[in-house]
Amino acid sequence: MTVAWIGNRDALVQDAVKHAAELLAASRCPVISIDADIEGTRAAIALAQRIGAAYDHPDPGVARETAAFIDAGGLFMSPGEVRRRADLVVIVGGLPEEAQDFVGELAETAPDLAGANARNFFVVGHGATFPSGSNVPATRLSCEGADLVGTVATLRAQYAGRHTALSVENFGQFADAFSGARFTSFICSGSDAHPLVLEMMQGLVADLNKKARASILVLPSSETGWGSTLVSTWTTGFPLRTSFSRGAAEFDPWRWNVGRMIEEGEADLHLWITAASGRQPPSGENMGLIALTKTDQPVAEAAVTIPIGEPGSDHDAVMFSNRTGTIAARKAQSSDLPSSASILRAIAEHLPAETDRPC
Amino acid sequence: MLTRIKGGEVIDPVNGRHGVGDVWIENGIIVEPPAGRQPDNTVDVSGCIVMAGAIDIHSHIGGGNVNTARLLLPEHHSAHLPRPAATPLSNLGWTAYQTGCLYAQMGFTTVVEPAMAPGNALHTHLELADIPIIDKATLAVLGNDDFLLSLVRDNASPDMIEDYVAWTVASSRALGVKVINAGGSAAFKENVRTFSLDDVVPSYGVSSRSIVKTLQAAVANLGIPHPLHVHCNNLGVPGAADTAAATIAAADGVPLHLAHLQFYGYGTEGKRRFSSAASQLAELVNSTPEITVDVGQVMFGQTVTISSDVLRQFSARRNASPKKSVIIDGDGNGGGIVPYSYRKDFYGSLQWAAGLELFLLITDPWRVFFTTDHPNGAPFTAYPALFELLMRREARSEMMEGLHRGALELTTLPSLDREYTLGEIAIMTRAAPARLLGLKDRGHVGPGAIGDVAVYRKDTDIAKMFGAAAFVFKNGELVVKDGDVVALRWGKALRLLTQPDQAIVKRLETYHQERYGLSLDWFDFPDWAVGREQPFGEVPCKA
Repeated sequence: MTVAWIGNRDALVQDAVKHAAELLAASRCPVISIDADIEGTRAAIALAQRIGAAYDHPDPGVARETAAFIDAGGLFMSPGEVRRRADLVVIVGGLPEEAQDFVGELAETAPDLAGANARNFFVVGHGATFPSGSNVPATRLSCEGADLVGTVATLRAQYAGRHTALSVENFGQFADAFSGARFTSFICSGSDAHPLVLEMMQGLVADLNKKARASILVLPSSETGWGSTLVSTWTTGFPLRTSFSRGAAEFDPWRWNVGRMIEEGEADLHLWITAASGRQPPSGENMGLIALTKTDQPVAEAAVTIPIGEPGSDHDAVMFSNRTGTIAARKAQSSDLPSSASILRAIAEHLPAETDRPC
Repeated sequence: MLTRIKGGEVIDPVNGRHGVGDVWIENGIIVEPPAGRQPDNTVDVSGCIVMAGAIDIHSHIGGGNVNTARLLLPEHHSAHLPRPAATPLSNLGWTAYQTGCLYAQMGFTTVVEPAMAPGNALHTHLELADIPIIDKATLAVLGNDDFLLSLVRDNASPDMIEDYVAWTVASSRALGVKVINAGGSAAFKENVRTFSLDDVVPSYGVSSRSIVKTLQAAVANLGIPHPLHVHCNNLGVPGAADTAAATIAAADGVPLHLAHLQFYGYGTEGKRRFSSAASQLAELVNSTPEITVDVGQVMFGQTVTISSDVLRQFSARRNASPKKSVIIDGDGNGGGIVPYSYRKDFYGSLQWAAGLELFLLITDPWRVFFTTDHPNGAPFTAYPALFELLMRREARSEMMEGLHRGALELTTLPSLDREYTLGEIAIMTRAAPARLLGLKDRGHVGPGAIGDVAVYRKDTDIAKMFGAAAFVFKNGELVVKDGDVVALRWGKALRLLTQPDQAIVKRLETYHQERYGLSLDWFDFPDWAVGREQPFGEVPCKA
């Protein structure tokens, strides 16, 4: 039987759920960190709406990717098209750990739709890595004295034929490779790249498309983060960093940055949802904590700890996949651990019928 | 539960009813007036018009591209109402929740999302499942995917192509098949920038025409009730009427549905070389009985264009307003999101007039369908105003007063006197869509139909009448009263019952393993993944 904790005391899950609902109903400024599958996100947003909470994802890379998307849009491509079509791959900055397998896959395969039997690889910036052990060479495009934004900006300026104060090492090789490429794919992630990098890359790709085809694969810094972004967008019209504190959904990426709200003492109760291992909730002064996490012991300083299973591992789940670029179902080995969605819905059932919204 | 909707003016073209009478619903189904029984619930609708719930055959209400538009344009959403309500982007009704409520308030009970990428089907159905009240359906997009293009190139047997189409429809839980700029997105990936009906996708040597004909035949042979739904090449281009005419001619006696024909109703006359060719297209439609069309009417104001015609959307980026857009080279078609504002300038005036010309010059209301291609021509919330334009020529005249005179002179609209009758509206928005989609259980209020009924309070203000239904029943349940949603329920997504052949499943498994490095499971999903009980309703193929 799954055990939960109220403080450090063992408790029945149903009692912990009830206590969590009481704390949420009493909170004046609750915030929710959502690191969950699609169903968990649906349930967390529904709960946020009931209690007037702000919600966010703990990985700040998600907000960077969202900001770049909203500000400028751009040209994007799917992972499947990269694998099958890209004969020139340019990796910009660091990628999430789980993306390394895909890059390795690209190194081991040829683009069957590009009319060529090989890919050329470039990496941009000192943070960009290529799978170790790969037999395929990757040429580094770097710019002495410039950070990643400066390097990409210089690359774009050089390609446009402008005079530049700095120069990109190996630019000539890149220009030659591009001129012979059928389809160029840039790969990046918000996990490492500043929004300006993403925007500058979009500018570069727009320039390249005047002559030939190129596009960008953004591998989200967090699969759960991007999945939750999609759910939030169709549910409220807005991505993460949205709040129901005034009743209607409001999106403000600064104001409803849950990490900032905790750090600056704006929030008084944090509902922290994650089944990922090795994570610790941020601590905030005079702030309560309800932890929904995969654990066999109470989380330090949590008023309530309720164990949840890992989506797709402990329970069937629907999740965004970086590998396909869309949402997919994952069948799991069942375990006794409940899903975050089931716990969140149980909490919602214990809220007073007309929970007053703060403010 | 026996409900009597009493004393309204019932307009039901399918069953030949047009007069005052009752509609009875028992346990969600419309029944004959039960002799000797008293209703549990009587709704007096004297002085009201009673029709079946309306059906929208082409409205982009969910899926990857729609959600991308939401993400690109958070300023579209009504939750920005704390800002001035007159903010141009403040009232488009963007969430899944609002979509269901706003449609229901107008008396619509079934809406078709016409552009579902098969690889993105689960995402689409998750969104649709969160749209309350109404039933939904989807069309699966084929015609730019490598598997089909390879089959056409290799002269695969019709059986194999039909098996593939059947598998796609079954796995994506679609009601039909759509082709969008056939081959155009694939050609664009090979750096082709213009693509017409007889152009060829370079790597395959396959023409757009051959793709359309292949899919048209497969859809017909599989008994899929809805004919192949075609988004032609050259959308929005001056002279696109020639492409539409060539596509109509290519139908060859086999049913074909052309989507948002207004966007092809352009000739090359006048000093701007942009004129209305809608009257010529209407004449062609009138003389080609196997053709059905929906209009894609333009209405003025801010919107966002959402299309899987990536080639077209790429070229439209320069006209984006606000100045941002998204172009996705996806598996198969991909998508393009370009915000746009239709202004009462030369171009906007001409587009607006061309759509109305099609509505008014196509004589058979069974073959022309009421759409704005939401949100491409206008958000669906513009429907009440569009009903008014169709039913009252004075409303058109008043609107034309404020439009570009030079543009109107390049159209026939000022000379058109036709006014749609309520009976024609009932055909165009109820009876005909149900027949076109193969939905025998709706579009009428005869015994056996599901209890989808819309009741409108008669009003000389047609937009007001159709904008806020007096009563709406969904599956017999009262969901809207006096224009307000009074009950929420979850509708179903209607899918076609097709049985994919196991040989094609095996072949596709091998294909996906070899080409994508992934199991076919990644491109299919179990019903539980949608997260609602019984999310789907089944529609049979034609015998």
